[in-house]
Amino acid sequence: MTRFLLRRLAQSLVLLWLVSVIGFAVLHLAPGGPLAEFTLIPGMTTAQLKLIAHQMGLDRPLPVQYWEWFRRMLAGNWGRSYRDSQPVLYVIAAHLWPTLELMVSSTVIAILLGTWVGVLGAIRRYSVFDYLATVGAMIALSIPTFWFGLVVIYIFSVKLAWLPAGNLYTIGNGSFLDYAVHLISPSIVLALVTIAIWSRYLRASMLEVVNQDYIRTARAKGVPEQTILFRHTIRNALLPMITIAGLQLPTLLSGALVTETVFTWPGMGRLFLDSIGYRDYPVVMGILMFSAVLVLLGNLAADLLYAAADPRIRLD
Amino acid sequence: MTDDARADFGCFPRMVHGGISRRRLLGASAAVGASGLFLPAAARAASKPPAHPTGHMTIGFSQEPTVFNPLMPHIEVDQGVHWNLFSPLWLANEKGELVPQLAAEVPTIANGGISKDGLSWRVKLRPDVKWHDGQPFSAKDVKFSFDLLNNPKFRAWSRGGYELMRNIKVESPTEITWTMAKPYAPMISILCWTFMVPEHILGKAADPNTSSFNQAPVGTGAFMWKQRVPGDHITLEANPHYFGTGPYLQEIVFKYIPDLTVMFTQFQTGAIDYIGLQGITADHYAQAKKLKYRTVVVGPAPFVESIMMNLSKPQFADQAVREALYYGMDNKTIVEQIYYGLPKLTSSYLPTQSWAYNPHVAPHVYDPAKAKSILDAAGWKPGSGGIREKNGVRLSFQNSTTAGNHVREQAQQLLQQNWQDIGVDMKIKNMPPAVIWGDYFNMSHYDTVMVGEDFMTGPDPDVSQFFLSAAIPAKGGAGQNTMEYSNAEVDKLLQEGASTFDHATRQKDYWKAAEIIRHDLPLLPIFQYATIEGTKKNLMGYEPSVYVSTNTWNVNTWYWAT
Amino acid sequence: MAVATETPPRVSPARRARSRALARFVRHRLALFGLGAIIVLVLLCAVGPYIWPYNDLRIDIRHRFAEPFMSAHILGADALGRDLFARLMIAGRVSLTVGFAAMAISTVIGTFVGTIAGYFGGAIGSMLMRFVDAVLCFPSIFLLLALAAFVQPNLFTITLVIAATAWMEVARVVEAQIRSLRERDFALAAKVLGASDAHIMFHELLPNAVAPIVVASTLNVARAILLEAYVSFLGYGIQPPTPSWGNMLNNAQEYLATAPWLALLPGLFIILAVTGFNFVGDGLRDALDPRLDIT
Repeated sequence: MTRFLLRRLAQSLVLLWLVSVIGFAVLHLAPGGPLAEFTLIPGMTTAQLKLIAHQMGLDRPLPVQYWEWFRRMLAGNWGRSYRDSQPVLYVIAAHLWPTLELMVSSTVIAILLGTWVGVLGAIRRYSVFDYLATVGAMIALSIPTFWFGLVVIYIFSVKLAWLPAGNLYTIGNGSFLDYAVHLISPSIVLALVTIAIWSRYLRASMLEVVNQDYIRTARAKGVPEQTILFRHTIRNALLPMITIAGLQLPTLLSGALVTETVFTWPGMGRLFLDSIGYRDYPVVMGILMFSAVLVLLGNLAADLLYAAADPRIRLD
Repeated sequence: MTDDARADFGCFPRMVHGGISRRRLLGASAAVGASGLFLPAAARAASKPPAHPTGHMTIGFSQEPTVFNPLMPHIEVDQGVHWNLFSPLWLANEKGELVPQLAAEVPTIANGGISKDGLSWRVKLRPDVKWHDGQPFSAKDVKFSFDLLNNPKFRAWSRGGYELMRNIKVESPTEITWTMAKPYAPMISILCWTFMVPEHILGKAADPNTSSFNQAPVGTGAFMWKQRVPGDHITLEANPHYFGTGPYLQEIVFKYIPDLTVMFTQFQTGAIDYIGLQGITADHYAQAKKLKYRTVVVGPAPFVESIMMNLSKPQFADQAVREALYYGMDNKTIVEQIYYGLPKLTSSYLPTQSWAYNPHVAPHVYDPAKAKSILDAAGWKPGSGGIREKNGVRLSFQNSTTAGNHVREQAQQLLQQNWQDIGVDMKIKNMPPAVIWGDYFNMSHYDTVMVGEDFMTGPDPDVSQFFLSAAIPAKGGAGQNTMEYSNAEVDKLLQEGASTFDHATRQKDYWKAAEIIRHDLPLLPIFQYATIEGTKKNLMGYEPSVYVSTNTWNVNTWYWAT
Repeated sequence: MAVATETPPRVSPARRARSRALARFVRHRLALFGLGAIIVLVLLCAVGPYIWPYNDLRIDIRHRFAEPFMSAHILGADALGRDLFARLMIAGRVSLTVGFAAMAISTVIGTFVGTIAGYFGGAIGSMLMRFVDAVLCFPSIFLLLALAAFVQPNLFTITLVIAATAWMEVARVVEAQIRSLRERDFALAAKVLGASDAHIMFHELLPNAVAPIVVASTLNVARAILLEAYVSFLGYGIQPPTPSWGNMLNNAQEYLATAPWLALLPGLFIILAVTGFNFVGDGLRDALDPRLDIT
């Protein structure tokens, strides 16, 4: 176990380094750049653009720039945002809390509802409920989140005036209730797709388990259906879900690009979009490294849990 | 999902001399029509500002203000915040009159502030101005601001005009003088949006580019810095020691809402009190007009939508082609249908409000038959697929704009069909702002772009940076003549216009230049933009102005009617 | 789906199993319905534009926002007065191609990588899965940006780019399943009996992992259709005036309140395609389920 962990850790460090090299190269070589922002300032001259590029260090060879960035990152200095010249770590920290709040609430909703829908759909296969759940999931998957978010805002905020049209809170009102009310629409909109994904996987997994020999054996032995369902079926069906959960885990902190945009939510997803849009290299690299660590941790956690839950699996 | 960044509206304020602007007329009629219906009589009767700053107002912006040192490279949302934190020496009000701010009076040749040759300047300052931290404002701060702009180590947002300043001298705490290397008429307009920064803070910074001042600004404006939540909003509070009128609001918030459709829903629900930059889209105007308890105002903006052509490409070298393309464009349908008749058709690059706008420039005419006959006469014969060609050059090219602007994409597609009808093939290739407005545009890699550009120099109608042959960046020039337009006579006229203070001479030069450019057609103008913005009905003081880039220039006079 | 059906049976039991699977599939009413829906959609998009009198590109500004069933434009007209039905059919060509091709590519690659890694484990498995992790480290939008920057955007490359962002999830799901399955009695028995690795992997283990693959493929069809519009929105995809269901939906955002059908119709087509595919997938899963033979 310790050897496994050490090996995974070493592998992860190599991966992170590779991700940083590739990410850095791709970002800098992709068309466009942070200077486009300055190009259209009236009176901007080519000479001045060159000076700005020089001050930002963008005129040096790419490997030099990378080395500089890498060296500083290891020392804990992730650079400053080109947009507001704040330290990258501060910028990330400022956007982390809104994302965490939104993602946790929507994930809780999604897992609870998704499990219920998935399990019930599998038990009552081809029932009216199952059809509705299936078609519902397909609709959720087929509608762009942005569009769905707008519809929710249009109905519940503009027409009915029940819920706020986005934002983290009402400025000047920091009460818990205010936060909670603002959380409703975005978490539901965001949860919808996750419910669809989670319930589809779980339903499929349940149907697999139902046909396994040990379930048949238990049933033949006369074990009550309730016991079979809870002690055997659901437990075993949740096993493959560990992988799915591991894949979802990083999004808890890396955020939702579209939901955050449509609900004016100042989270990580939107920060990433804005930073990519402006080619804010230091921030994009910061988020990239941050989310890469999360992905590796999520997958490692999934592998460990899987092995712990299924005695047949060896860690190697 | 990054929005159409600054690119389209990427510019700055304007100044117009005299005459009531169209924006004012439209604005007034919209406000009157609506207020008669919805504004409670009490609100109108009691519309007097409060004795003390009261209330809270939220402004919606579709871009995030991130630069708070007004002398560093910034875009107009940033300037929207600067207007409230800082002050210029003078500003152009909504009528285009210059109003002194930090200066005691606006220097002119008549009052002796500017010498007859335009070279020596003398500016007297108000004695009673204090920075937000209580320190007195003086001529030293003005000198420091000018010096900083010319400091080669400083990332100055512009050096245009400032670099001509010589011998900047503090004569007394309330008087500053300097001389210009050559007479430069646009200077007075450039100073309309040059905000002064404090010497006693920035002067001590080791590196003004990274000073903590840039994120905790101290100014002389009506509001003081309170808080910034990155990615979300900025809060300013009333400055009790403001030297000018107001402020009447206790707190103002600039809220960043990255999507225009979303911003409009927040205006509908009342989450924002004023929908500012980039306002309400033309698609939503009909809906917006019907909203209760809101005032929606349409006003002209200085930006002119046009097709800019890269004249170094063989397709556009022939004058006949450019002329035919212009005849082939159904601009009227674009304006009336796609933009709901809100902007104004134009065949010039200057806004009609400008005193240098030439009303006699030939208007645009949509005449596809004439377009075809021009091309036929010039030897462009239909080849494969009906696309015209001549000497191996096919009349086929790309047109680009910022990806994701749906309304503009509709206009592009209409043009595509218009030109297809005369045997010209236009392909659409849109890109994200960070790509298209980088080297692709600046170094003239494009065929054609569709862009809303402000061609003037600040509030001054000097268009040198776009049309001077020495302003071609791809040829090492300083400027934005990415069309690579070059005409010796235009060069002469623009240079003469910028170097004389004589109004009549300048107007004559600019009128003549407009005629030549209309004839040469390096760009195909379509319309002058209209801004559509709105406020809650009982928010008083909103005064859209064509002389500024964002209409938050006078928030110090805004208040809630009680 | 493609992999699951690609069992090359040489012996007669396999052929029997296949015909049984076919029979089970045909009995599956929903699967038939799904297949029918997809066939109708494909035919409509392939043949429809030749029959329908309106062109998908011809702008007719006088009919902008024509409502459905109110004029000769049966399904109405868009913001430029172009016939919506004609555009939906042409758009389907783009969306169905991207959706199904990207799904097929990502499923094949993901299943292959996952199966190999899960079955062999050890150094090979570790290397493959760390590669999967590495690609997962890049957010999709970053991958799109990167790939789009270096390839010329067209239907083919967009499909590849989208597939490249979608196969990792399949790989991880399949790997976990195979790793668990290979320790089961039947797999061990096959090994003892001297079956080849390839036989065990693709004939014994993979059929037991079809369920999550089908789910992942369904998710990927929907994802690809929507992602295509997003890539275009970023400026790297299909450019106007060419329609796709995704970009028609995107362009209809502003008209949510005034012309909702502009969004509803492409939305419906996407839902129909995705739901149809899901039912076909479910049917296939049932048909291929090895355990159902016993009953």
